[in-house]
Amino acid sequence: MSRLTMLLQIAWRNLLASPVNLIIGGLILAGTFLFVVVGGLLDSLNDSMARSVIGSVAGHIQIYSSKSKDELSLFGGMGGDPDLSAVTEFPRIKEALEQVENVKEVVPMGSSGALITAGNIVDVTLERLRNLFKARDGQLDDPRLKGLSREELDTRIASTRRHVRQMIKVLEADQKKALAILKNQAIDPDVVASLAKVSQDAFWDDFDKDAMGSLEFLENKIAPQVTDAQMMFLRYLGTDLDRFQTSFDRMQIIDGTPVPKGQRGFLLAKLFYEDQMKLKNARRLDKLRDAKANGRLIAKDDELKRFVKENRSQTRDIVLQMDDLKTAEATKKLQTFLASTEPDLTTLLSTFFDTTDENLEARHQYFYKELAPMVELYKVRVGDTLTIKAFTRGGAIQAVNVRVYGTFSFTGLEKSPLAGGTSLMDLMSFRDLYGYLTADKAEELKQLQRDTGAKTVSRESAEDALFGEGNTIVAEATAGIIDEENSFTGVGRRLREDDLVKRVYTDSEINGGVILNAAVMVKDPTKLTETIAEINRVSQEKNLSIKAVSWQQASGILGQIITFFRGVLFLAVLFIFGIAMVIINNAMMMATMQRTQTIGTMRAIGAQRSLILTMVLTESVVLGVLFGGVGILLGSGVMAWLHERGIPAPNDVAYFFFSGPKLLPQLSSGNLVIALIIILLVTLISTLFPALIATRVSPLRAMQSDE
Amino acid sequence: MNSIVSIRDVVKEYELGTTVVQALRGVSLEVMKGEFLSIAGPSGSGKTTLLNLIGCVDTATRGVVEVAGKDTAKLTERELTDLRLNTIGFIFQSFNLVAVLNVFQNVEFPLLLQRKLGSKERRDRVMNLLEQVGLHTHAKHRPSELSGGQRQRVAVARALVTDPLLVLADEPTANLDSATGNQIIDLMKELNQKKGTTFIFSTHDHKVMQHANAVIRLADGKVLARESAKDAVAHALSLGEAPAEAPAGARV
Repeated sequence: MSRLTMLLQIAWRNLLASPVNLIIGGLILAGTFLFVVVGGLLDSLNDSMARSVIGSVAGHIQIYSSKSKDELSLFGGMGGDPDLSAVTEFPRIKEALEQVENVKEVVPMGSSGALITAGNIVDVTLERLRNLFKARDGQLDDPRLKGLSREELDTRIASTRRHVRQMIKVLEADQKKALAILKNQAIDPDVVASLAKVSQDAFWDDFDKDAMGSLEFLENKIAPQVTDAQMMFLRYLGTDLDRFQTSFDRMQIIDGTPVPKGQRGFLLAKLFYEDQMKLKNARRLDKLRDAKANGRLIAKDDELKRFVKENRSQTRDIVLQMDDLKTAEATKKLQTFLASTEPDLTTLLSTFFDTTDENLEARHQYFYKELAPMVELYKVRVGDTLTIKAFTRGGAIQAVNVRVYGTFSFTGLEKSPLAGGTSLMDLMSFRDLYGYLTADKAEELKQLQRDTGAKTVSRESAEDALFGEGNTIVAEATAGIIDEENSFTGVGRRLREDDLVKRVYTDSEINGGVILNAAVMVKDPTKLTETIAEINRVSQEKNLSIKAVSWQQASGILGQIITFFRGVLFLAVLFIFGIAMVIINNAMMMATMQRTQTIGTMRAIGAQRSLILTMVLTESVVLGVLFGGVGILLGSGVMAWLHERGIPAPNDVAYFFFSGPKLLPQLSSGNLVIALIIILLVTLISTLFPALIATRVSPLRAMQSDE
Repeated sequence: MNSIVSIRDVVKEYELGTTVVQALRGVSLEVMKGEFLSIAGPSGSGKTTLLNLIGCVDTATRGVVEVAGKDTAKLTERELTDLRLNTIGFIFQSFNLVAVLNVFQNVEFPLLLQRKLGSKERRDRVMNLLEQVGLHTHAKHRPSELSGGQRQRVAVARALVTDPLLVLADEPTANLDSATGNQIIDLMKELNQKKGTTFIFSTHDHKVMQHANAVIRLADGKVLARESAKDAVAHALSLGEAPAEAPAGARV
């Protein structure tokens, strides 16, 4: 013990004697600090990301067909959606997997996307008018119009007509402005003439004589003049909704209700709903207020300034939604609110949306209290039926009507575009859109082909020739809001039958069809690797043709990000410690050379070589442990501080990685141990050679004087 | 009296480049327990080489070196180190204290290497010795804070702390002024008489020589004579004021 004390004392005093030790110590300190802090952050990120990935879509393990061309990548890869083969024997697989000890639940899935265009506001309003006319004439059975008397329908028709006329007024004003800037030839005379025609009272007086014809004229000639129809890419995950909700317990219904068990239905991702389907001005007001809550100022933030600018210039979405009565009402409200005599609603709105850090809160409140009730805030409302049309790989158009039951989000991931970008759909609808040819379907398709003749066949082979045997879905869907009643016959028509929407499917029906992948929830997440191996073994044994991968692998590039950063950290630490090792080696070599007489003396008066070895090694270990210890302490301090304070997500994407609005980094004791081991290894290895040299110093050296 | 060092026909050769230099050319010597023996001779006469062989820090090319009854040629490196630790004390020309340790720690060092005594016993032993060399008040001082004489006294204490049978001192006074040198020799003599420790020291200073019981005179790697201190001093003086610098041939 006293020997050790002595060695430590020698080491300590020798260290104090040489300033180069400060440099070495600094490097060791920096290296350990970096390791502890960045390593701890990465660990925390990994944990939180695991929570996000596992809790939002992947589950612990994903299985998919082993015949797939691509690897499963739940969040999309470099080249878009992966090409997965269909899994057709899910019931058998499910049964087999549920025998695996650690498996808690198997949730079938399939994801895809469709482009939907929300028709422009003129289209939508005209469509509404058309439906009202039809309902009045008893040609339409719309649940939302059910129970309305003829008088009520007439009132609505009158109001909607006024709305259309109001729109035309707005368009006329637009056109006047355009004509003032552009030369006459730049605008199609037909457009000018059409607009002139519909702005005449005569057109409206005669409207009812041929309502459908008039509507068609408006749809063909006027609606296209409003060009702000939006294409939206709707990503959806078809799944057993009931099982999904119990397995992914972070999922929360925000608006509406869950889809009733066994029924067809659609749940929109809340973020997608807000971002894509909400009235842009309202959305931007929300974002401005969020930003303000996070301490960002409009006066100092370019993005926020852009929001304000866009809000001021893009008011047509609001103006076009109002009929003459509402326009007058809104104008009056805004005149009062803004204390202005300006008669033009567009100008008033522009002034209203000129929000600053000071008036934002008041205007946000006023907007939702007074203006929002006068317009449709969302293009799709809970309870609406969404028609999603997709081209199957067979080339047939598949259209599915799904009722939007509500919106959902994952707790903590409300703002993450990664978790909040995928909407949920029942498996039956997904399969219809996916168009996998079950025996049943093949028969239907044959029928369809007989009806449409040889053209369908040639088109099919043309697409095959173009795209090979790929089973990618060319998905395209149109306006959810526009219910195009009579545009399809055959399969599409039958699928849109009402009873289909209301039908309750049994478990075996839900599980029985084709899926693309499935999430496996386990009981003990620490045994992931073993469970994956076990599943793959079972798959081989029972010939299930499936492959099991961890959530990390299943999430594609996303799952590898942390591994990548870990590699970068490793290299950085390696670099720092590499330099430290070279310097330590040199410094200790020099020190040994300078101390040969002392070492020789010690040897002469009876110190064994082992003691000299221990002495030199102790010196650098003391150096390493001392500065490394300070590095670890500092690092732990910083981590504790970060844990206390939390790191706020810098942007929406970070929500996913942080698994919430804040990352609370946790110091992992494993990292501390590894840091200590690294320090010991680095110092021991770099001093080993000088130490061995020191043991070779002869006791004779003691007899030689230094001069 | 028992023999503590027995050297018979020892030859020590060094290779200097391609030539072989003979530092000792057949030296035989007996040293008895309790002797206060001086090895004298000019530079290059082989004094240090002889001390190195006795001190087990070097090995003979030929011949037998027995220290405390052990044939050093038959011992391993480890055993030689243990022999040095437990049987021999060293005093060096340039003191060779460990600069980063204080006076107490320097003296305690061999005891720590021995691992025989507990901390209290070590403390008592060290303080006792420091008192004997008159430095007990300087226990916490670092060597750099001491004068040359004080340092050498610390070295003496260090050499004696393990109660060795034999203390070797290579020119212990060479780096000291003559008064201080005398004090060191007096101290060594005192300890020799009190404890019966055998001292072998090399010197070329006749004032130092005169304290010895006997003087071994070396020249050209050979023992010229073993004589009394009086004779040796007389011999040295007959060679003039600077006996060490005189060419070896002049003395014959």
